[in-house]
Amino acid sequence: MEPDVSIETDCEIRVAVLPIGGPIPPPRLRDYLSMLSGHRRVDLSSVSSFYTEHQKSPFTHQPWDSGSLRFKYVVGGAPPSPWEDFQSCRKTLAVVGLCHCPSSPDLSLVADLFAAACKPYTSALVHRCFAFCPSDSQLDEGKKVDKVILFPPSDRQTQEIHMLTMVQDLAASLLMEFEKWVLRAESAGTILKTPLDSQSSLSSEEVIKAKKRRLGRAQKTIGDYCLLAGSPVDANAHYSTAIELARLTGDVFWHAGALEGSVCALLVDRAGQKDATLEEEVKYRYYTVIQLYRRAYLQDNAQRVSTVSFELEAALKLARYLCRQELAKEVVELLMGAADGAKSLIDASDRLILYVEIARIYGSLGYQRKAAFFSRQVAQLYLQQDNSFAAISALQVLSLTSKAYHVQSRGASQKQDTLSNSLGPSHADGGKMHQQSVVSLFESQWSTLQMVVLREILMSSVRAGDPLAAWSAAARLLRSYYPLITPAGQSGLASSLVNSSERLPAGTRCADPALPFIRLHSFPIHPSQMDIVKRSPAKEEWWAGSAPSGPFIYTPFSKGGSNDSNKQELTWIVGEPVQVLVELANPCGFDLVVESIYLSVHSGNFDAFPVSVNLPPNSAKVILLSGIPTKVGPVLIPGCKVHCFGVITEHLFKDVDNLLLGAAQGLVLSDPFRSCGSGKLKIVSVPNISVVPPLPLLVSHVVGGDGAAILYEGEIRDIAISFTNAGTVPVEQAHISLSGKNQDSVISIARESLRSALPLKPGAEVTLPVTIKAWQLGMMDSDHASSKNSSGVSRISKEGSIPLLVIHYAGPLTYNESPKNGDFVSPGRRLVVPLHVCVLQGLRFVKARLLSMEIPAHVHDSLPNPIFVDDGSAEVVTSPNSVNSLVKIDPYSGSWVFRLLELELSNPTDVVFEVNVSVRMDGTNNGNGVTSIQNYAADFGYPKTRIDCDFSARVLIPLEHFKLPVLDGSFFAKESQTTDGLGSKISNPAERNSKAELNASINNLITKIKVRWQSGRNSSGELNIKDAIQAALQASMMDILLPEPLTFLFTLAKNGIANEGIKSPKELSEQTIVAGDSSIQSASGSNTRFKGSISAHEMTPMEVLIRNNTKEPIQMSLSVTCRDVAGENCIEGSKATVLWAGVLTGIQLEVPPLEEVSHSFSLYFLVPGDYTLMGSAIINSATEMLRARARTDSSEETIFCRGSPFHINVVGAL
Amino acid sequence: MERERGTLSPQASTADKIARSHTIVEVRVLACKVMATTACFIIVSRNDIPIYEAEVGSAMKKEEAAHQHQFILHAALDIVQDLAWTMSAMFLKAMDRFNDLVVSVYVTAGHILPILMLLHDSRNEDGIKSFFQEVHELYIKILLNPLYLPGSRITSSHFDTKVRALARKYL
Repeated sequence: MEPDVSIETDCEIRVAVLPIGGPIPPPRLRDYLSMLSGHRRVDLSSVSSFYTEHQKSPFTHQPWDSGSLRFKYVVGGAPPSPWEDFQSCRKTLAVVGLCHCPSSPDLSLVADLFAAACKPYTSALVHRCFAFCPSDSQLDEGKKVDKVILFPPSDRQTQEIHMLTMVQDLAASLLMEFEKWVLRAESAGTILKTPLDSQSSLSSEEVIKAKKRRLGRAQKTIGDYCLLAGSPVDANAHYSTAIELARLTGDVFWHAGALEGSVCALLVDRAGQKDATLEEEVKYRYYTVIQLYRRAYLQDNAQRVSTVSFELEAALKLARYLCRQELAKEVVELLMGAADGAKSLIDASDRLILYVEIARIYGSLGYQRKAAFFSRQVAQLYLQQDNSFAAISALQVLSLTSKAYHVQSRGASQKQDTLSNSLGPSHADGGKMHQQSVVSLFESQWSTLQMVVLREILMSSVRAGDPLAAWSAAARLLRSYYPLITPAGQSGLASSLVNSSERLPAGTRCADPALPFIRLHSFPIHPSQMDIVKRSPAKEEWWAGSAPSGPFIYTPFSKGGSNDSNKQELTWIVGEPVQVLVELANPCGFDLVVESIYLSVHSGNFDAFPVSVNLPPNSAKVILLSGIPTKVGPVLIPGCKVHCFGVITEHLFKDVDNLLLGAAQGLVLSDPFRSCGSGKLKIVSVPNISVVPPLPLLVSHVVGGDGAAILYEGEIRDIAISFTNAGTVPVEQAHISLSGKNQDSVISIARESLRSALPLKPGAEVTLPVTIKAWQLGMMDSDHASSKNSSGVSRISKEGSIPLLVIHYAGPLTYNESPKNGDFVSPGRRLVVPLHVCVLQGLRFVKARLLSMEIPAHVHDSLPNPIFVDDGSAEVVTSPNSVNSLVKIDPYSGSWVFRLLELELSNPTDVVFEVNVSVRMDGTNNGNGVTSIQNYAADFGYPKTRIDCDFSARVLIPLEHFKLPVLDGSFFAKESQTTDGLGSKISNPAERNSKAELNASINNLITKIKVRWQSGRNSSGELNIKDAIQAALQASMMDILLPEPLTFLFTLAKNGIANEGIKSPKELSEQTIVAGDSSIQSASGSNTRFKGSISAHEMTPMEVLIRNNTKEPIQMSLSVTCRDVAGENCIEGSKATVLWAGVLTGIQLEVPPLEEVSHSFSLYFLVPGDYTLMGSAIINSATEMLRARARTDSSEETIFCRGSPFHINVVGAL
Repeated sequence: MERERGTLSPQASTADKIARSHTIVEVRVLACKVMATTACFIIVSRNDIPIYEAEVGSAMKKEEAAHQHQFILHAALDIVQDLAWTMSAMFLKAMDRFNDLVVSVYVTAGHILPILMLLHDSRNEDGIKSFFQEVHELYIKILLNPLYLPGSRITSSHFDTKVRALARKYL
């Protein structure tokens, strides 16, 4: 069998091309060959100038103007075929020697060598030896050695012309030789032998037959020569005769040969035409040829020599001729028949050639899978030969099949991709590929076959000594088909990878990735310390709108814009390390050592840091890959570079993504990540990453430790936070805001100190004090805290509830090194500093209660005593006695029912608290010194109440003394200033109408009560119990706030007769009655003044001052009673111990609004002791307002107004 | 303009979906029957992926041979895909052969729906045809399973036993 046969092969003159002399450098040889092989076809017209007709040419119908001679150059020559008599085209009719002069200086030697080389080619009619690049001396010498044709050194074009001439000369010589041969054959006849004939035993009968046949065979051979000489018409004539003769003599084999020649002659004659009738004719004749060969084969089957190859060649020739899509069926039939013939071929190389040819024809028909199948057969035949050249051939053939089996190396496919540019853009954008195109990626994945092919490639490349190809094949096999390979097989592949890499130079790269599987896990968002915020320079608040501001972490509106394009944007900063999370999976059964893995960045502005990973069998691992952007611009990260099994490969993320998509659709064997136990992950697309110039970077830390500050509820603490600029660019703008929960617990931030520190140079530090008041634990919180408390783990700062300090800061507006785009605004940053506060439950407020008590009831108990002291400007009573000072009663207040606010506090914590109640007397007064009572000290000097662990305590807050005056103050602010009165008429309509005012004053009052606590040395805070107090006071608020309509005041009238006016408090102060009790006796300073002022058995002139606290005149009937210690009325009755002068009962008076009326009387005490004086009045024709104050509904009821009791201590006679 | 596009695209996508759901059912079944007792049966999906393969013969259980059978069947796909469009019959007998092995094919409905093909040694043609028909029915039952993703491998052991039983019966 001969390779590359076609119908036209019959008309080709075979020329052996032999290198002669010294070694020719391969590129030179290629060069010379290309010059020679360009002349496959030499036109007869160009030959004619070299042609001399010595005798009458036998080729009578030679087409000198249109015909041509065809050459087939066989480089290196070929051994003579035993069948060359049968088909003259198998003869080597000419020998061409190629000589490279510089390597073979002696031309005569070359000539000798050439002559020797020509010897084996017995049928060669013409010999030529071409010598290239001769030196000058050789040129001279060449004139003597005429066997060698020297090509003078010149440019390529000249040499080509020279070569053309030489080839034309060769063609003319051959033509003349053919003529000679034909003439001789026609005249003398010729002996033609084939291997078939040599076998036949010559019986007498057959000798006769052979003589007959010889004529036909001669005709056939002459026809062959005519064909070679480019004269198809002559050839056809001879073939026709030969066919006739062969048919007659039953010479089937030569019949077929002649018929084959006639088809060739027909085609050469009709060169260029291809019509249906011609095709039909060719088809018909060739089928006959095939039939004849088969018959010949069957006939001669007994013989040792098989002629089946001629039948197969004929079939291949026809198939090649018919090879078109429309005739595919016929071609396939022919090829199938030819393939079947392979069994009858004895020679393995014949079978090889057959399969190669079948594969080629299938390939040109577009049947890639068929071609691949036969190529694989070829490869198997090669592999049966045990030498490395065969293995290399096998490897090459298998690599050709790899495309059809979809196992081609990525290196090869990438080249194709760039050529076809088909999938380029869709791959490049990395976005979600269409499902259909994903499916197309997995088309024709016939895993069984792919594995076999890859294994064969691996085997052949190992045999061929191509470690890179072996590595690549093993990598492909392992990566794509690991689920189908047993663990032992996987380990075997791994070791073959290692073995191959040992034979490769270090740092070899391969286009085909092996393990592990790598997918993008996520891009960790910037830590909150490094958040980047887009800057809109036009706005004052440049960060607004670019980042989610406000109370919501997720703002649907702000997200909407960026979500439209499903690619998120990512900003990296030059010089700041970034991190990318990737997930690696090793689904195989061996330990995978990844020597290094790093991000593969094609944009060239990124330094990736390699990491080495060890993956145990069947495991997946998420690892952090980092790097530093080095230049401004976009960054593309298509995948990772992996140094594993000794070779560097690039693993693309999109490949794995596609693989996972395929796995999801059941197209791929398995998902490597799921088989490793890693969860399903949404496919992460690589975002658009851009690198921006350096930005400032603030780093914060809390001075004194970053741990959470542990505060009790309500505790106030200063925290100092220091900020350092860790970047390389100064901070020029900074703004602090608060976010998160419990924002109001941040009392103050020293914004100024930050602002004054700007611009903050790189490395500079600024400290910012922040005052925090611990917030109240909620219901849930306290439960949580208490449960934690019990378990002893109380120091948990809840991230969710802490306030966050948000600092927006930015460097210079534009980056001076990028002047090319003026509108570029370097972004700002946001630093979120969580104020780590752990709030513990502190003092627990249990309840607030309002206690009210009547003073007289407590007189005996030495409880609150009204002590009136001087000084009209302020009715402050300051008792020297600290015990008594707890209760201070202003006699003018008029309210005698005494009220206390009782707060019950418990201490569930494990520390001791000290509680201090104070009332803040800030500047709510209106500046009227007379009426406002703000001179109460803020601190009353009450002893601190200590509350031990797990104990409760009650704290009493007297409401009377300090609340009312405040109330007065506020009323005065509202109303027109009245005289000196402390009690303005509260219940006037205007006041009642303005509820809001009242509420305001209530709130005002409540806010003034401060319950501060202190625990240990440096914890202090304040209880937030406003609501509780308000709730406690709500019911009796009116009573607390409103004074009585009438107040009574008893004074001593020194001069016997009631003096007209004790209107001035100054005077009053001189003559005040102090109802002293036992305390007076033990009296110090002030008491002695009164001593002896009232004594028994003495007429004591007194007067009662009745003050109208309303704005309307009140008519009344006043009576004064005096009771002794026992409470007996000592004025009336039988045992009266007090005598009196003046009127004491039924005194009709009318008191003008807001004024006082005095009524004088005298008392004569018979018995020394304590007495109580009390004024009371029945109000005539009471107004609605008074009724309301008295809380009566019926208008008939009389309104009785009783003053507060006054104590008189009557001493005995001195 | 925007609105038009907005209303059109969902229709397009549903149409696409319908088309896909129809075409995805396309599966080719190849069977290779080797000699008297050896046969290799394969169902090839629309995407040229074998979704079921079985050596249903009695002899020659060598792995090497099984691979060779699959190679022959894979190569035969070229011819099958060409010829399936020129013929109206579903059962295409002896479409391809290599050595003694003949490929017969049963192309399921409409060429884009499953196509069945058979390679055989021109013996017991009727049996092969019946085998194909019954396997086709089995395949349709598999398709009706809502949990079966069309185009993915058939892993049902029930299907496997049935096919092998059919092979014993007909081949």
